Amino acid sequence: MPFGLAAPYTLVLIVFLLLPVALIVTISFWHYSNFVMTPAFVLDNYRLVFSPVYLKTYLNTFRFAVLVWFFALAIGFPVAYFLSFEIRTTRIRMTLFLLCTVPFLTSNIIRSISWIPFLGRNGLLNGGLLFLGLIEEPLDIFLFSSVSVVISMVHLYTLFMVVPIFNNMMRIDHSLLEAARDNGASDWGVIRHVILPLTSPGIMIGTIFVLALVLGDFATVRLMSGGQAASAGLAIRNMISSTQYPPAAANAVVLLAVTLLVVGGLLRFVDVQKEL
Amino acid sequence: MKRRSRLFWPLACFYGLFTLFLYGPISTIVTLSFQGPQGGLTFPMRGFSLHWFLALFQQQRVGDFKGAFLRSFTLGLIVMLVCVVLGTMTGQAFRHRFRGAKVLFMVSIASLVVPSILISLGIGVMFTQFGLVPQWYTSGLAAHLTWTLPFALLIMLAIFNRFNKSYEEAARDLGAGEFSVFREVVLPIILPSLVGVALFGFTLSYDEFARSSLVMGEFNSLPLEIFAMTTNVTSPALYALGTVTTVFSLAVIALFLLVTWWLQRRTQQTRGAGARDPTGTRALPNSAVGHDGFE
Amino acid sequence: MERSSSAPGISRRTFLAMASLAVGSGALAACVPAPASDAVSEAQAPEVLTGKIADIVLRQIGTGVSGVNEIAEQAKADLGFTIQMTALGTDENNQRAITQPGSYDIFDGEYFSLPLVVPSGALQGLDVSRIEAFEKIAPTFTTGKLTEDSVIAQGTAPHKVMFLPERNSTSFAEGMTNWATLIPTIYNADTLGYRPDMVEKVPTSWADLFDPVYRGRTAILDIPSIGIMDAAMVVESAGLMEFGDKGNMTREELDGITDILKEQKALGQFRAFWKTFDESVNLMVSGEVVLQSMWSPAVTAVKAQGIPCVYQPLAEGYRAWGGGIGISSGVEGMELDAAYDYINWWNSGFAGGFVGRQGYYSAIPENARLFMSEAEWDFWYEGKPASEPMVDPFGTELEPEGAVRDGGSFWERMGRVVVWNSVMDEQDYLVQKWNEFIAA
Repeated sequence: MPFGLAAPYTLVLIVFLLLPVALIVTISFWHYSNFVMTPAFVLDNYRLVFSPVYLKTYLNTFRFAVLVWFFALAIGFPVAYFLSFEIRTTRIRMTLFLLCTVPFLTSNIIRSISWIPFLGRNGLLNGGLLFLGLIEEPLDIFLFSSVSVVISMVHLYTLFMVVPIFNNMMRIDHSLLEAARDNGASDWGVIRHVILPLTSPGIMIGTIFVLALVLGDFATVRLMSGGQAASAGLAIRNMISSTQYPPAAANAVVLLAVTLLVVGGLLRFVDVQKEL
Repeated sequence: MKRRSRLFWPLACFYGLFTLFLYGPISTIVTLSFQGPQGGLTFPMRGFSLHWFLALFQQQRVGDFKGAFLRSFTLGLIVMLVCVVLGTMTGQAFRHRFRGAKVLFMVSIASLVVPSILISLGIGVMFTQFGLVPQWYTSGLAAHLTWTLPFALLIMLAIFNRFNKSYEEAARDLGAGEFSVFREVVLPIILPSLVGVALFGFTLSYDEFARSSLVMGEFNSLPLEIFAMTTNVTSPALYALGTVTTVFSLAVIALFLLVTWWLQRRTQQTRGAGARDPTGTRALPNSAVGHDGFE
Repeated sequence: MERSSSAPGISRRTFLAMASLAVGSGALAACVPAPASDAVSEAQAPEVLTGKIADIVLRQIGTGVSGVNEIAEQAKADLGFTIQMTALGTDENNQRAITQPGSYDIFDGEYFSLPLVVPSGALQGLDVSRIEAFEKIAPTFTTGKLTEDSVIAQGTAPHKVMFLPERNSTSFAEGMTNWATLIPTIYNADTLGYRPDMVEKVPTSWADLFDPVYRGRTAILDIPSIGIMDAAMVVESAGLMEFGDKGNMTREELDGITDILKEQKALGQFRAFWKTFDESVNLMVSGEVVLQSMWSPAVTAVKAQGIPCVYQPLAEGYRAWGGGIGISSGVEGMELDAAYDYINWWNSGFAGGFVGRQGYYSAIPENARLFMSEAEWDFWYEGKPASEPMVDPFGTELEPEGAVRDGGSFWERMGRVVVWNSVMDEQDYLVQKWNEFIAA
């Protein structure tokens, strides 16, 4: 009976997730020339992925991942804490929570490009800094750079950190906090020794989402770096748009392996099913 | 009321800055979409008009905004329906132990973290290799399901984690069959949360870009159309479209919230009526479900 | 907007509609009861159209350069059937053309993509005898020589990939035959554009793209077959490298040029890379970039926003491209007849005049001229000062009275083409190296 209920769902994942992934793995060994690929077993495509240029691309992708993760956590934790412990009434708490959830449900692309008029050479940020006399001429660094990519990704993905941490914090028994305070713990002490350990599963789940999303991202990198910055996802996208499928597949297999390794490692520390 | 903690005001400011960070950029493009007819993509504003909104609904040089919107809207509804039905079924299944449950859960997580470009390429190549023509309602739907269905499952699991089994047991003790237990007891309790699943299913599909990029076939979905417009449109019409789609998303969210609120209120009212209900199955403490669907 | 429909005058357009109809119904005589000669009065036109023609939908894929809705609308008004246009990026367009020939009827692409598309058998050879005024097509496409004494440019020049030995051939013919791959529609000579108000030094050579004066303010286009040719022009004129044939580089040459490009990228020479023409417009308008490789209508689009921009003729000459339309291999019967009508319609004038007002050239300039005013023709083709303000097909004023087209006349510009967009023997390696440069 339970299996019957789960069958359609399982079927969807087998046909549209596992089968395509298996196909990509197969194709990554195929030969290609001039937009046409032919079944074969060659390792050329992997040789390409492991060339210095693409290894650097992977390093850069990790750099983005770590930076975005750091900012997402640095922003997400205090926000979740504020909502869970500093707001007393449920109604206000849910309103404030919704306020930061709503943008997450609107278009990612619109949210990305909305940074362009803000960060550009003639954008509001440069305008403001010029007005304040902090800079003499507009800075290029804000737009079409790694800076704009990270800002935009933090903007897009921080919610994935806020929600699981908030979910975790809401389940913390407040009497524990009272007990800690009664025993003389400071605010910081309570956060460090009680709340932080109790919310670590939420942090883990948030980390999994943020890392996976950044590792696989290509649209944000493309839009916000003016095509200049490199990421593994964008390299794959470029190969696909020049219809070099087999090397794109090889690259995707490597990216998948890396992602699963990272996520698998993190999953050892958290039982997601229990923490929902 | 106890005194505010010393952290309250610093954190409140931090939260305020965070919302500014979230909404600031969107408000710039909303502002810029009201540019005068001579205005460009950046500040300063050259006048104030509805010109670019009107331009959206007129013939455009390239692209088909209306068609893309209708496709995304329809696809969102289909995905929503599939998510609610399959999500509920699978969530129910997970309440019992079954062989492979752990594996299925891991595969679901994998489905969420797998690089989107890989899914897109994989499904696209699968269709062409099998001689099928990729379309938004076949391959496009498939790609969206790999992203939305696991989410639906996670929400359902979260709901059932908080589910009080005693009502079901009571109904069973009174001789109700499996299906009527589900229909009479479980469904009414989880209904407000199912609205959350529906909301997620719809909006995640409606805004999905990365997994759709190679599988939509002949015609673009709205996010693909918008992405194409970021490289194809040089006027504030792009921002006007951004404003319109954002307002539409907000309206959808508001609608879903209203429905949730209405369902919860109705549940609370029937609780009063529960005394007259001979089976007692309708007497539901509202806390039987999670605080809302946003797990 | 009004401009596009009123420019040639109603009577001429109606005449054209009738003429095309006559041709169309001639071909469709078997299906349509009304004899072709009857289709002369306006009253009868709708009657003819109520047949199956009105139900025909031709699906066109293209790059958005010519995939303009106004053109599709006019085609429907003149021909009676529907052209459904899908705009794609250059690479996606080729990819779709090769891998999914069933998903389109009309392929609107560039000549340089043919060495990739034709071997796949996705296109059918076009019967030249069914193409009206084929002999009037600019000789650039048929012989490669614009004038008798022109030198054939390097790269994938259109005439090299223009003809097939047979209808279903998957390789090219040496000389002219009765089977064509694409019928040319529009083409142009490209160079660098710059912002005169934001540079201190006027660029005079392709080499200036690498000049440190413009560091961090230049852009190059990220489409391998086109970008590599711009890069080759720059690298060669800067004396950094020499090529045997820029249009067909060796692996060593590709390695060398990629290294130079990566070095420039590391130095911060580029502000951005662009893939579509509007992207280049946005970069220029916002002032993020002051010197970049550009397409002619992009320059006019920048000017249309009131921002000065010059399409600078450079010492070394131009890089050219040519676009045309072809028919998917599976198209047959009434659709095939309609597709031929559409191709003939394209070069009959309206479309040529339409894109002419954006700065593109038409494959049959004399037909485009019918749909351009004297002043427009003189400005865009003859290189004469505008005798009235120049207005684009969408109603925006591009140039004030008295302005002169950058680079001069059709003959001056197309006559100085030194290289075409190219697909090389080492195409896979080129794309691989190019992606490396973009990813570096």
